[in-house]
Amino acid sequence: MRYRPILLFLLILLCFTTALGQEPTDETEGPPDTVVVDSSLLPAPVTNLQARDTEDDNGHSVTLTWDVSTDDGSGRDDVYMYMIYRSMSPEGPFDSVGVAMKGATEHVNSSSKDRAQPDFMPDHTDYYYQVGAVTVGGLITRSDVAGPVQSYGQFFNMGRIPVFVFVVVFCALVVFFVASARKGADLYVRPLAGIEAVDDAIGRATEMGRPILYVLGLGTAEMVATIASFTILGRVAKRVAEYQTKLIVPCYESIVMAVAQEVVKSAYADAGRPDDYDEDSVFFVTSLQFAYVAAVNGIMLRELPATNVYMGKFFAESLLLAETGSIAGSIQIAGTDEIAQIPFFIVACDYTLIGEELYAASAYLGREPILLGSLKAQDLAKAAVVIIALAGLIATTFGWPGFAEALHVEN
Amino acid sequence: MSRTGIVVFLVVCVLFVVSWVVKAGTGDPEGHYIRDGFLVTFAAFLTLAIMSFMYKDNPYYKFAEHLFVGVSAAYWMCLAFWSTLVGNLVPRISERLSNAFMVPHQPGEYNFFFYIPVILGILLLMRLSPKGGWISRWPLAFIVGTTAGLNFVRYLRSDFINQINSTFLPLAVDWQGFGHFFSNLSLNATGQFVAMFGNCVIFFGVLCGVIYFFFSKEHTGWFGRASRVGIWVLMITFGASFGYTVMGRISLLVGRLTFLLRDWLGIAS
Amino acid sequence: MWNGHIWGMKVHNLGVILVLLVIGSGLLWLLARALRGKEVDRRVIFAFIFVSVAAPLLITMTFTFRATPIVEAVFDKIESLPPGSHVLISYDFDPAMAPEVQPMANVLTRHALVRNHKVIFMCLFATGQGQLNVTLRDVIAADFPDKLDGIDYVNLGYKAGNEGVLNVIVSDFKKMFPTDVNTVPFDSIELLDGIKSCKDLDLVISIGGGLPGLKEWILFVGDPGGVPTAGGVAAVVAPQLYPYYPRQLLGLLGGVKGAAEYESHFRERYPQFDDMPTPAIIMMGPQTIAHIVIMSFIVIGNILYFRERRKGRRV
Repeated sequence: MRYRPILLFLLILLCFTTALGQEPTDETEGPPDTVVVDSSLLPAPVTNLQARDTEDDNGHSVTLTWDVSTDDGSGRDDVYMYMIYRSMSPEGPFDSVGVAMKGATEHVNSSSKDRAQPDFMPDHTDYYYQVGAVTVGGLITRSDVAGPVQSYGQFFNMGRIPVFVFVVVFCALVVFFVASARKGADLYVRPLAGIEAVDDAIGRATEMGRPILYVLGLGTAEMVATIASFTILGRVAKRVAEYQTKLIVPCYESIVMAVAQEVVKSAYADAGRPDDYDEDSVFFVTSLQFAYVAAVNGIMLRELPATNVYMGKFFAESLLLAETGSIAGSIQIAGTDEIAQIPFFIVACDYTLIGEELYAASAYLGREPILLGSLKAQDLAKAAVVIIALAGLIATTFGWPGFAEALHVEN
Repeated sequence: MSRTGIVVFLVVCVLFVVSWVVKAGTGDPEGHYIRDGFLVTFAAFLTLAIMSFMYKDNPYYKFAEHLFVGVSAAYWMCLAFWSTLVGNLVPRISERLSNAFMVPHQPGEYNFFFYIPVILGILLLMRLSPKGGWISRWPLAFIVGTTAGLNFVRYLRSDFINQINSTFLPLAVDWQGFGHFFSNLSLNATGQFVAMFGNCVIFFGVLCGVIYFFFSKEHTGWFGRASRVGIWVLMITFGASFGYTVMGRISLLVGRLTFLLRDWLGIAS
Repeated sequence: MWNGHIWGMKVHNLGVILVLLVIGSGLLWLLARALRGKEVDRRVIFAFIFVSVAAPLLITMTFTFRATPIVEAVFDKIESLPPGSHVLISYDFDPAMAPEVQPMANVLTRHALVRNHKVIFMCLFATGQGQLNVTLRDVIAADFPDKLDGIDYVNLGYKAGNEGVLNVIVSDFKKMFPTDVNTVPFDSIELLDGIKSCKDLDLVISIGGGLPGLKEWILFVGDPGGVPTAGGVAAVVAPQLYPYYPRQLLGLLGGVKGAAEYESHFRERYPQFDDMPTPAIIMMGPQTIAHIVIMSFIVIGNILYFRERRKGRRV
């Protein structure tokens, strides 16, 4: 009885349509998931459905806009969401590719750009869309078909022009000032009290015969604060090598440790004492914040360093470290760009480099053209900030929104 | 060890055992009451051992410190292996390895890119070699360079341009003439005067703060005065920040004392 | 706690008076000692803080709170989203931060679920997974036993990579989270239907205080993706996030005070949760007493400082 399942299916279909008091429908007509019900219960469809390529992206995305169903927020107010359907032909079949909440008038249908993924959506291909208004009871009315529409990527994101302009101008300034510094231009950097104190502190440690503890913070190697700290470490290590004092550098991160070892090793070589470099002076402790603090606190109280230098990225551990250093009677010099931690260093340390002073310190110490040129370019960028803020203030006060809009960065 | 030290050690041991017995006795008889009793007692001991540092450095603090460092170092090593190598890398480079580690394979068109970090990772390990140590500088340069580049644009956008945009505040809020301003003058938080005053503080605060961070000009004359206002603004900000942090630290202490008083001693509700 | 009466006075009130008396007389003793020019050992200060925190915990001293606009903004956003909206809560903290931020995570989850939103959990801190389990146990299993994993909420778990994770999920969620924490494939999770990236989310909430945290969510997801972003952070980083409010950050719960305000507001709006645990409100009792003690120390310290300075001038 090969035809028994088909006969059974037809029988069930007949019963079902009779029970609803409707004529049996031809399955080839209408969307596949439409249930035939009293049409007065169906929600009004969305209107004015438009499909266009999503702007300023890398393709594989189409943006749909529509006017909400008249039963959404008004009329029967029984629409609770919208289903998004997509097809490669205006006749269908349409697949569900997303949902939008009640009241939404826009949906971005973005799919994978990876051919291996099941939701891959090739660019430069015609697509057709429908939006279905869905009621709480699950009834759906689909809109007219919108399309064809093709997605494609844009080479340039126009929404990010302000970022582009700033990058170009800033880089040009850096290049210009670095070139000037290389040619021997005298670029002035104002003295920083914290850095002036470093040499005295190293001298004090030598006199007392006690070590110097250098903490690079909890930042990773690519963070600007850590990079600035490496430069200062280089200077400290060079002086330490000259004075033949002991240096202790406990590290929180393995890559930071690797870089710090290189920096200290180079500094010893520069000071003409490569053999005095002790590999164990720069070591890894742990990557768990408070375990690291516990270990460094222990070192402070056991080794009793004459000077503690904290330069880099610090978080909740800043006061714990500085407080313990203070108990141990060490001279303490700190610098961080982590605003929340600066107050602790100010109250518990002898000298503190506030925020950007840390970066300036590396330029001040190194006197390298690249650092000096960057610092000068930064100062000019700050001057630009002051001018733009002043112009923005005037524009906003007099009600000219165009200025703020020109600086607005789109997605 | 001194005689006092031995006595203290014995007292600590006795208290530990008593606490374990009592906690196990009051635990759920259907559950692992002996283990749970030990864990609560041990956690309380470690908390007190760390807190004892406030009195002075001592062997109990050292024990807790070394245990913490050792356990965390091992924990992070295992975690890095399972979440970075096994979690992120293995599923993308080999189906066989994915099956071996019982993680779902993630085939992808551009998965061959993932061999680049494998190579860089191996190069990073070259620093263990006495002669080939210099090779490890290349992956380091790659890490520093790519992340700095990635962050540069993000920070420029969110922390620079968008923040400058946020300072575009009208000095005259809802301005309807001096008559209206003075007749409605009040210190109401939503009033016109407070809104205008707030905008002025933000704008001039930003201005003077930025001037303080000028490094290529000496801070003298009007520039120096603006810079001094800037440092005042910074110090007030730090004061507010300090207050917040005190709250944070007290919260952590409350958390620990809640554990000691409620979970361990059972005397707080 | 026993709530009897002694000499006609409620023992709770008596406890409060006793605590204030002990601490107040101690502070006066300190002031007198300091004025006589005697040094005060730092351990005395530690003892004061210990007493001022422990005593209110023992007598459960609580206060009422009114939500400030920055906290209310988060509440109103969750309230105004239509049921079924996708809310992502990221657990970006570890046990060390938990006393401060776990109450926020719990009350925000409770609020999202009571509004019938679909909640997506994830962690940028490895140890955040353990804290997330606390919420699953104390909030979902306890108060919402009918909510189903994969339908009403989903736990995507931890993914290594810090900001790198955010940089990817802002354009492709599945690339970073091919499965949930129980290895259910992304495409089979009903709740994630229609979610391709963070841009499809209605609200992103980061709970944390470290790195990566809320700031990274703003930088890598909120700003570039145009996703409404809110958060709850440890008090120590809260001041750094104020500049982002309200243009780049929808609202913020700063420290335990922010959490207490939210708990208070939530209980007020949903009286059926009147007997829910309110750890943040309870923590504000010890906070208040400890703050009074610390402020007293600052005043005493300053009196001494100016006294010494005047003496120095005379000399």
